[in-house]
Amino acid sequence: MKNIIYTTLAISLCLGLGKFIHYAISGLPASLYGMIIYCLLLQLGLVTPSRVNQANQWAIKHMGVCFIPAAVGVINHFELIKNHGIAIVGIIFITTFLLLTFIGVLAEKYLATKSGSTLPASRY
Amino acid sequence: MQIQSISLLDSLILTLLTLLLYQGSVWLQQKWQIIWLNPLLVTIVTLIPFLLFSNIPYIDYRQSTQVLNALLEPATVALGYPLYQQLQNIKRNWRQLLAILALGVIVVITLSFSLTMLLIHQKEIAIALSLKSVTTPVGIILTEQMQGDSSITPFAIIIAGFTGGLFGPSWLRLLRIRSDIAIGLSVGSASHVIGSIIISKDNMHQGAYSSVALIISAVLTAFIIPLIIPVLSIFFT
Repeated sequence: MKNIIYTTLAISLCLGLGKFIHYAISGLPASLYGMIIYCLLLQLGLVTPSRVNQANQWAIKHMGVCFIPAAVGVINHFELIKNHGIAIVGIIFITTFLLLTFIGVLAEKYLATKSGSTLPASRY
Repeated sequence: MQIQSISLLDSLILTLLTLLLYQGSVWLQQKWQIIWLNPLLVTIVTLIPFLLFSNIPYIDYRQSTQVLNALLEPATVALGYPLYQQLQNIKRNWRQLLAILALGVIVVITLSFSLTMLLIHQKEIAIALSLKSVTTPVGIILTEQMQGDSSITPFAIIIAGFTGGLFGPSWLRLLRIRSDIAIGLSVGSASHVIGSIIISKDNMHQGAYSSVALIISAVLTAFIIPLIIPVLSIFFT
């Protein structure tokens, strides 16, 4: 319970700082500044990783429910889907494969041997 | 049940209904172990007919459940923790890694935006589709910031997630890409959390790299998209 409060406070503090930075210099959305600050505080040991572990995992596991109100907005778009649904799916399909190929080829060329991770795929 | 104005009670009922439907579909997915039963998708497919039959306008639903939308921000901050956990994995080659992911972001935004403008001619949709490779909370927030249509983004994100997660590994094998780092990074940056979950089941190393890629790509996208969209828009007016 103590750790849940600790995690909530840590995340709220980072989000608050993020909002302040967003207000001061704009640029990134406040929550992304918050995320970077949170990561930094963890790395510097100012927020104790072991104390946020459990509540944080829980939050990430359940955050899907927050996407629903935005996603239900598709209710206003039946016309768009009827007219352009195939084009939309096609665009997503093509660009996803292109991005996979692009990153895959570059990472294989520039990162694979150096990081020594070209081990045969280990199964867990 | 016709909702005329939004009362606290209606708001409570709709929010609870959303939570219950979502939790129910999470439970169904765990029980049947079918990856296609994505809880977000199942909830939306059941909620939309309900809203249509009970004559609840979307705007009322959206306002009634604004608590959930507000939680997107702290949820995004919470992603800082997995990023922290993966930092030591990427320390060694961080410059190359950032460069490759940033190039990927530029390529995917440019292609998705341009293709959508050419085929559909609607900027709000083009912005939503160019954010389809980003993890959902960031995708929705960025779409709204760029004045895109944030109701399209979650669907685009789900389709991109399954495309890369299910076909990505075999496609990369076909291209003779075998290292865990290359497979992880490319699936993570193209298919975010959904891709990451799918490949983590087979290979934890790839899963770890994919979670690094999805978070860093999201941050890079936030930096890059406000610079690129205005430039691209010049060509499509």
